[in-house]
Amino acid sequence: MAVEMDHIWKTFQIPHEKRTTLFENLMGLCRPNSFETFSVLKDISFKVEAGECVGIIGDNGSGKSTLLKIIANILRATKGTVRVKGKMTPFLELGVGFHPDMTARENISVYGTIMGLSRREINDSIDDVIDFAGLHKFEDTKLKNLSSGMQVRLAFSTAIQTEPDVLLVDEVLAVGDMEFQHKCFDVFNRYRKEGVTILFVSHDLGAVRRFCDRTLLLGGGEQRAFGETGEILDKYVYGEKESNLEKEAAEKETTPARPNRWGDKKVTITDVKFLDKFGMQSSRFSSFDPMTIRIFYSAPDGICDPVFGIALYSEKDQHLYGTNTELKNTTIDKIEGDGYIDLEIGRIPMLSGRFLLTVAAQTHEGNVFDWIDKKYSFEVLRKDRDDGLFEVPCKWVA
Amino acid sequence: MLTANHIQELCRYRDLILRIAWSDFKLRYKNSALGFLWSLLDPLLMLIVLYVVFTNLMRIQVEHYQLFLLLGIILWNFLDRGTSLSIWGIVGKPSMVQKVYFPRDILVISTCIMALMMTALEFLVFIIFMAVFQVMPGMTIAYFPPIFACQFLIVLGLSLALAALNVYFRDVQFIWKVIVQIGFFATPIIYPITIFPENVRWMVMINPMAQIITMMRDCILYRTGPEPLSLVYLAISSLLVLFAGYLIFDRLEPNFAEAI
Repeated sequence: MAVEMDHIWKTFQIPHEKRTTLFENLMGLCRPNSFETFSVLKDISFKVEAGECVGIIGDNGSGKSTLLKIIANILRATKGTVRVKGKMTPFLELGVGFHPDMTARENISVYGTIMGLSRREINDSIDDVIDFAGLHKFEDTKLKNLSSGMQVRLAFSTAIQTEPDVLLVDEVLAVGDMEFQHKCFDVFNRYRKEGVTILFVSHDLGAVRRFCDRTLLLGGGEQRAFGETGEILDKYVYGEKESNLEKEAAEKETTPARPNRWGDKKVTITDVKFLDKFGMQSSRFSSFDPMTIRIFYSAPDGICDPVFGIALYSEKDQHLYGTNTELKNTTIDKIEGDGYIDLEIGRIPMLSGRFLLTVAAQTHEGNVFDWIDKKYSFEVLRKDRDDGLFEVPCKWVA
Repeated sequence: MLTANHIQELCRYRDLILRIAWSDFKLRYKNSALGFLWSLLDPLLMLIVLYVVFTNLMRIQVEHYQLFLLLGIILWNFLDRGTSLSIWGIVGKPSMVQKVYFPRDILVISTCIMALMMTALEFLVFIIFMAVFQVMPGMTIAYFPPIFACQFLIVLGLSLALAALNVYFRDVQFIWKVIVQIGFFATPIIYPITIFPENVRWMVMINPMAQIITMMRDCILYRTGPEPLSLVYLAISSLLVLFAGYLIFDRLEPNFAEAI
């Protein structure tokens, strides 16, 4: 057992009136200050085996970072106990204690010491660090004269000299360019092979899927699920629908119909739903999963041979794709009353991002019954580490 | 708390303590042409002013008054500097408190050690002055290390309490400044303890700093060893200050990362 969390609660007390001086506190003695208590973590219990890599995921504000800080002993739990076995190194921020007025070399010494390296280890590895960071020419340059990219490289190269038993990683991988991120992943792979226990907080679900044996899902400070990574990621992406639907409903209400809908309303589109691979309504999808767009219509007077169409836009308003029943050679003889039509997508090719959907019903001649422009949207979450907007089906041949 | 375990832990972190102290020390002078000399200039200027005032206007009759005065100022400066730098020891390094973990008293200890380094420089000047005025210390100089160690414990104890309090009450620094100012005049630094009538001297000497400065002068300048009773009193009071400091520090430490 490398890390054991036993019924951890963390409550922050936020005073209504912030008193930062002795004077204010003395003056406030006769007026008791009231507190707002806010539970960031509620009854979190889990165990991590030695050598395991555990991902921690959840929306912003779900308590991921707080949890990591409690494991790191930076924050203390309000209730419950934390047990960590072995030497622990937190990568919560790179370059803690870096000082702009010191040279690269001096900063390595200080930062290395903070990360728990002994003087001898630092002396032995300092040249490797400078090599790895590619800063040979700049080793005696003051840190403030290095570019921010160089500073991050310097910090990272120093940090990975540590040989922890338990490694805590918070979103640090998110900074830096692609090349740097690849370097990071290489290093984490090395750590994993060496049997280091890793706790990994990330929004990058692709990375979590690749690296983590098990995953902890937090939501609103509660432990929603803990188990095998694939299962938990599905739960995260497709689960928790109600709250999302409510949110979306609220969004729709707050954005009144802009002049983005037109048509003679002989057919009206009453609703659009996105269905996931389980046939449940969702607004979040993993890339490469199947998805169904269900368009609900109402045609009180009955219409012969209508055409339904959709168009996809990126958040930056790029037109990505458009199709309709005519183009796909699907004929609809006659519709009358309320009903729906499905567009089945076998594999979502988009990698990540938010996508806007236009739906329309019209005649073959182009007379619009109802056209709703970019009103509906869904989100795609990254599954692996390919870069860009969408996947091109391909493979490498060597 | 200051247990054997904790002291052991601190020993494991000795590299870190010294590294932070040394880099802070270097940083202080990095951008100034005169470098280390600046730290000497400050007590020297004060010495000159006080010396002129007190030898010409007030006429205090003390043997080796220049050295008498300089030693007092250096020792007091150590307390002043150690505590006023340490007040920022925690608040001034938020990322070291919020992003990594090591026993947080390390930040205060290393600040005190940095102040010690600055004081060591001043002692170098003091040695030169002793040579210039041809004052040779006797065997009683052997009392210097234990007395100075006691002062270090007092400075550390005060620093721990102040650094911790300043996280929650940001006006502690101003209050402390006033207290140090008062202390400077309430402690026999510019005057000898003998200016007080015999029956009120004990009131001045309750102050451990008064004990330290008086004993230091006796053993360095006047070849007189301290009275055992005073030495015992100093040892006990410095340990008390240290423990009180740790008590306050440990009480407040768990919430540093949130309150900072």
